[in-house]
Amino acid sequence: MTTPLKTRLLVVGGGPGGYVAAIRAGQLGIDTILVDEGGLGGTCLQRGCIPSKALIEVATRFAHLRAAAEGTDPAGLRAGTPSMDFAQTRAWKDGIVTRLADGVAGLLRRAKVRHLAGRAVFSDAKTCRVETGEGAFTIAAEAVILATGSEPVELPALPFGGGVVSSTQALSLSALPECLAVVGAGYIGLELGIAFAKLGVSVSVVERQDRILPLYDRALTEPVRRALERHGISLHLSARALGHTDGALAVEGADGTPFQVPADLVLSTVGRRPRLEGFGLEAMAVDVKDGRILVDDQCRTSMSGVFAIGDVIGEPMLAHKAMAQGEMVAEIVAGHRRRFDPLVIPAVCFTDPEIVVVGLSPEEAGAPERALVGTVPFLANGRALTLDAPAGFVRVVARREDHVIVGVQAVGAHVSELSAAFVTAIEMGARLEDVAGMIHAHPTLGEAFHEAALAALSGGSARH
Amino acid sequence: MSYDLIVIGTGPGGYVCAIRASQLGLKVAVVEKRATHGGTCLNVGCIPSKALLHASELFEEAGHSFASMGIQVSAPTLDHAALLGFKDKAVDGNTKGVEFLLKKNKVDVHFGTGRILAAGKVEVTAADGSKSELETKNIVIATGSDVAQLPGVTIDEQKVVSSTGALVLPKVPGKLVVVGAGVIGLELGSVWRRLGAQVTVVEFLDRILPGMDGEVAKSFQRILEKQGVAFKLGTKVTGVDTSGTGAKVTVEPAAGGAAEVIEADVVLVAIGRVAYTQGLGLAEIGVETDKRGRVVIDPHFQTNVPGIFAIGDVVAGPMLAHKAEDEGVACAELLAGKAGHVNYGVIPGVVYTSPEVASVGKTEEELKAEGIAYTVGKFPFLANGRAKANNQTDGFVKILADAATDKVLGAHIIGVEAGEMIHECAVLMEFGGSSEDLARTCHAHPTRSEAVKEAAMAVEKRAIHM
Repeated sequence: MTTPLKTRLLVVGGGPGGYVAAIRAGQLGIDTILVDEGGLGGTCLQRGCIPSKALIEVATRFAHLRAAAEGTDPAGLRAGTPSMDFAQTRAWKDGIVTRLADGVAGLLRRAKVRHLAGRAVFSDAKTCRVETGEGAFTIAAEAVILATGSEPVELPALPFGGGVVSSTQALSLSALPECLAVVGAGYIGLELGIAFAKLGVSVSVVERQDRILPLYDRALTEPVRRALERHGISLHLSARALGHTDGALAVEGADGTPFQVPADLVLSTVGRRPRLEGFGLEAMAVDVKDGRILVDDQCRTSMSGVFAIGDVIGEPMLAHKAMAQGEMVAEIVAGHRRRFDPLVIPAVCFTDPEIVVVGLSPEEAGAPERALVGTVPFLANGRALTLDAPAGFVRVVARREDHVIVGVQAVGAHVSELSAAFVTAIEMGARLEDVAGMIHAHPTLGEAFHEAALAALSGGSARH
Repeated sequence: MSYDLIVIGTGPGGYVCAIRASQLGLKVAVVEKRATHGGTCLNVGCIPSKALLHASELFEEAGHSFASMGIQVSAPTLDHAALLGFKDKAVDGNTKGVEFLLKKNKVDVHFGTGRILAAGKVEVTAADGSKSELETKNIVIATGSDVAQLPGVTIDEQKVVSSTGALVLPKVPGKLVVVGAGVIGLELGSVWRRLGAQVTVVEFLDRILPGMDGEVAKSFQRILEKQGVAFKLGTKVTGVDTSGTGAKVTVEPAAGGAAEVIEADVVLVAIGRVAYTQGLGLAEIGVETDKRGRVVIDPHFQTNVPGIFAIGDVVAGPMLAHKAEDEGVACAELLAGKAGHVNYGVIPGVVYTSPEVASVGKTEEELKAEGIAYTVGKFPFLANGRAKANNQTDGFVKILADAATDKVLGAHIIGVEAGEMIHECAVLMEFGGSSEDLARTCHAHPTRSEAVKEAAMAVEKRAIHM
């Protein structure tokens, strides 16, 4: 017995892209059903951004207390030796996730979106069947948004299971491992690796390429590489993971020599790929290429009335990209004229120190011939000194011919919140002179943005 | 030896003015009375107070919020000497930095007290009493401000302290009475409360943070009260008796009524700051000052005496380091024949408490007074993922936009890192951006700044996460 349902809009996937699309559609008066099988909030909220940031916060505080216990905290904090009750940490983190997921459920209710918990399986582009705890439904929709997200990539040599985990399991451990080997020095691996190291776990990182965070330029990643040393993380570059047995990860080193890295747990974070299987995509006549759903600048797929947003359409796989697309598609379904055309999408890497990347790097912008670059170290920033965080810098990249800012990057202990001003400046079409001429509050880290613009104008060196 | 420009005072306004003028090719000297550069801000203001704020925040957090996160630790202590050492190191790093910058930019430094003998003539009296005379085409007065005195109360910097003394208290006072609920009083009051003092703030007006948005001030007061700060608003201090072991502060309702005595170990007087022009010789050479002792300037920073200019705390406007810096740059550029300009409509202000308070542009009260129709968008940090993951959910973002054009007219934030988040709003306002511009801008997830986007969306009643 299945219950037939009809709806104007069907959203598949309750992650940041899907739930934002559904809420926005509901706000606009569109009859909407959201089908989600992995828990509201998706990877981001359930097993990604949010739990990882909670873990990072606990780890940062614990590391600080350890410094206090060793008498090395520069600000004079002293404490007895701290210990971790990791089960409590997990309960605290789960509490946050539950509250936020309940919050999303409440927002959906308020927007009059019907939520079905289960897997949608399509029989044609606009019809699917959902098995839920309250019975089975068939849904016929006029428009469909696919927001099925992404999943961790598995290395053939390191199948998930046993002692090999993806970020999902790493975020729901009930006890800390003694030795952790992280395979893949991308942002997920390093964020978690650093957090576990701060919690007292002995951490090694194995990376196939000859550098960490290969998506960012070396100047940006160098402060993080130095920090890995400080956190006591052993880094193996140009190295290949061969397999995990008996508490050790077998690795082939840069020169071809095999060696073992102690690891009662291996965290494999070699990337994520769009989730295309298990929901009947093949029945929908939607074009797929290179493992992702193809869309135009309105997130329309090749099938009329079917949209796809977020990780399932490929890079950048960022929650805020998905949210922006979800909001836009809901408005398109409501008849608004919208296109997805942000000048920049910020990326933040919550390592220690943090990295913010907005727009073009100096190399991408053609520096020095075609672009001006201004860099200001936090060592010259008053606020950074009061925060005991002098490592890192802010860098502004502008077109040489008209000084229009095309990129801003930063690395430093607290730079994630600086990203919004960088993005706003670029979206407003700011030139170096505009940022150089505006007043930034003193003493803030944000002053470094202003100084970097001045530096770019004066050929690289700033007032401070 | 003759200069193009002599700047008197090397606080943020003065040293920035000197460096900018030198960069533009002028021959520049500075005169500084202190042994170090950086003025009030670097030596006894913004920088040391922020260092103490940082350290005291960590201390409080360690004592209170760790158990729920699964961290077990005995009650932490604070090595007071190390704390003050940390602060001194931050100050030292900053003042040395200014010294280096002045040298790098070839600015001559004359240590001593400056006195203007006439347009083009500055006398410098060194610490040893020796005098020298410098000649210059132009003079910029950047002598800043000093602590405002409370009539009948003597600041001894022991039991009755100004902000200067409050930065170097030899131990945590048991009871601290703060006179004045402005930025300085609340910042330093917060520091010592977190370190263990019982803090009472006495304010003459019936609200805290005068000049800030009323709703923000009220809500912030509740947050501080929840943290344990006691407030006595609409109350004036009539005297402080320091004859006994502690101090006895006599207060009475501002509107009149029965007096009351509050016991304190230390009393912090933070009722404001006044322009500092003592010993400059302004009256002798006829430089005009206003009723409050501030140097009167024209839109190009020039006083009524040609060739003498003034910037920063010593002139009208908000007493903020970054306002002084911007005036310093603009003044230097004008002196070098360029078009210097300060946009007084977009000067962010930050209160460095925990959480912080930051604002830029108009408050609701100002918009009402000016008869401007506006819409409000608000979003609480309680609904922000990053704030939740960090266990820091106090506060909200409030965006005020023109009801007809949607142009953002003001932004107000209470929350951790509000002082950094406010810049996004400042950038937008410099471009005359709308709340829709802010709402359509891609904000990184998970950051607190997403609350700014949501507040902007709430202006048109379409926030997603609320």
